[in-house]
Amino acid sequence: MTNPVSRREFLNLLGAYGGTSAVLQAGVALGFMPSSSQAAEIALQANNGKKVAILGTGISALTTAWELTKAGYDCTLLEASHRPGGRMFTVRSGTVIDEIGNYQRCEWDNDPHLYFNAGAARIPSIHSNVLKYCKELEVELQVFVNESKTAWVQDDAMNGGKPVRNTDYSSSMQGFISEMLSKALGDSKLDSSLTESESETLLGMLRRFGDLNEDMLYKGSTRAGYGSGGFLDHGTTKDVVALRDLLKARNGGSVMVTTQEGTGSGPLLMQPVGGMDRIIYAFANRLGDRIKFRAPVTEVMVKDDGVEVAYEQNGVTEVLKADYCFNCIPSHLMSGIPNNFPDDYSEALNYIRRGRAYKAAFQAKERFWEKENIYGGITWVNAPIQQIWYPPHNIHGKKGVVLAAYNFGGANYTEMSQQDRIEDLLKHGEKVHPNYREMAQKPMTIAWHRMNHMLGCAPRWARNRGGWSDKEEQMYETLRQPVNGRHYLIGDQSTQHSAWMESAIQSAHYALADLDQRVRAEPA
Amino acid sequence: MKKIVTATTLILSAVCSMASLAAEGDVGVAAAMDDRYCTTCHGVEGIGNIAIEAPRLAGMEAWYLKRQLENFRAGIRGTHEEDVQGIAMRPMAAKLSDESIADIVDWVGDWEYVPAEATVEGNVRQGRTAFQACAACHGANAQGNEALGAPALAGQNDWYLLTQLRNFRAGFRGSHQEDTFGSQMVTMSKTLTDDQAVIDVVSYINTL
Repeated sequence: MTNPVSRREFLNLLGAYGGTSAVLQAGVALGFMPSSSQAAEIALQANNGKKVAILGTGISALTTAWELTKAGYDCTLLEASHRPGGRMFTVRSGTVIDEIGNYQRCEWDNDPHLYFNAGAARIPSIHSNVLKYCKELEVELQVFVNESKTAWVQDDAMNGGKPVRNTDYSSSMQGFISEMLSKALGDSKLDSSLTESESETLLGMLRRFGDLNEDMLYKGSTRAGYGSGGFLDHGTTKDVVALRDLLKARNGGSVMVTTQEGTGSGPLLMQPVGGMDRIIYAFANRLGDRIKFRAPVTEVMVKDDGVEVAYEQNGVTEVLKADYCFNCIPSHLMSGIPNNFPDDYSEALNYIRRGRAYKAAFQAKERFWEKENIYGGITWVNAPIQQIWYPPHNIHGKKGVVLAAYNFGGANYTEMSQQDRIEDLLKHGEKVHPNYREMAQKPMTIAWHRMNHMLGCAPRWARNRGGWSDKEEQMYETLRQPVNGRHYLIGDQSTQHSAWMESAIQSAHYALADLDQRVRAEPA
Repeated sequence: MKKIVTATTLILSAVCSMASLAAEGDVGVAAAMDDRYCTTCHGVEGIGNIAIEAPRLAGMEAWYLKRQLENFRAGIRGTHEEDVQGIAMRPMAAKLSDESIADIVDWVGDWEYVPAEATVEGNVRQGRTAFQACAACHGANAQGNEALGAPALAGQNDWYLLTQLRNFRAGFRGSHQEDTFGSQMVTMSKTLTDDQAVIDVVSYINTL
């Protein structure tokens, strides 16, 4: 490539993203770990047998029940579904996906390695409270490989639609960025904010970051692997994919930031051995018959001295009277359940939008990706399927379950028939792996927007991309306060970082701390 | 129902043993699934759910509910690409058998009719005038008329009536050639000259 983007163009680009000083200021925050890096110490006052109704069995509910039970509270959990866990859901041989209008039963081989985490699937090392419970409840964890440089990047517009290896994409992009930035460093505008010695340090770093040659140009890198040789013979550098070509891939941003752990993603993540629902069942087993399944809540009435929860089981309506209630029923379902919440509380509940997320997976006849030197990680596809994940566990085993689509936006999978969903994932997948269609056995799909008793994925609060409005912040605070000191809303809907188990657990801890304070303040 | 009880008992009896986990992953296996999904979206006893945009079913006439379920199943309703809520409903109905539809209609018939809360505010006087055209089929009190195939409107969620009138006016509902009653509504909805007229007429229905 020769000067594919001019220096001026590049500086304009930099300006568009805030310029150098903005970048330097960002460094101020370095050195601080996110607050979630510390697991909470829960020290509830030992109790007394107070009755607590817990609505739902998502991880926030299970956390609440577990902590309260340990402290001597008398907990009852009401679960509308036939299974616990909410969006922590693992599909394996025999599992029913209770999607309304698209009932599926998994007929994969009965093998502990063959499972699909249809909801939560990854645990970052900074999600200390999730990890704390895994340790406490003896849930065995293993490393989850989130990024593989040998996985692919595919976009119909790039490289004639042929996939390129992640490493070809990212090494070259790193090279080009470094080359352009090193050229720009001579410019007075950029230079003025750096001392000479800082400039030199930065240049040295850029040379290594981009693997630039002595003339500070990117001419390919062995980081992308060798074109040939490399073991018995000297390795040769691969041909460089031109920057203009790389820029045709519109999902490059995702490719480049997979390993930024601060937001929860990272190269090193973890997963429970055998499926994410191992965490759920670790809680559920210990809670035993405190959980009532197929017991949908039909009314929630907050009283002066407690909460009355009506629910239906086996065709009979029962009323559970409790001193306190912790509720992780999705807000959009609470809108359809009679209650006596205050108007501002209901308004806030109705405000939260239900997220749309879609995942699909199949049992692969053979571990075909391993023949392509892929052992985990993500292939990025610029199509609604967005991602293909390869199982990092059971390496060299016979089969494996491939995640064949992960869309968390507005694609219309929810409305598609099962047959169309399957054709869609095969059609896009075979652009990456020519034998994909032949390898795919019994695909399973899940559109969370239509899952029975869920009807949505991660809740969405902010309506504007710019962030939370004052009104939204205010409604959020409204929901964080217990109704009459008796009814607590929990779950990731009651956090500002939805879609993570850690958030849901922290919402439970937040509510528990409030409860504990109230109970301690009660006259003895 | 026996099956369900068995499944639940199974999981509850398998306490604390890590070795028993594999079996519990299969809790769903024995669970009987039926077609009574309605309340997940439409609320407890079909009271309607604005957050899902799923209307009140309690009090809906059996003949109307049956016809709509059959229309959804046949793709007569819920297939226009702009009918967002209809598209969401269609797959729920697509797999229903005649028996399931009959079962659902019976089930819904058990629910207590509770008029929906008013959320739409328009010019009631204007709406009253506009409603005269509607009254011919739906009745002066919007109580519905089975003989004309016109359902009751009174007591229905006003936000739902608003969406449906907008959909009829735009042809998102009622354009399917086999949707006899829907096509009548496409014509009739055009007597409402603009969106304000739609809001007004729904506001008037709220008073009935």
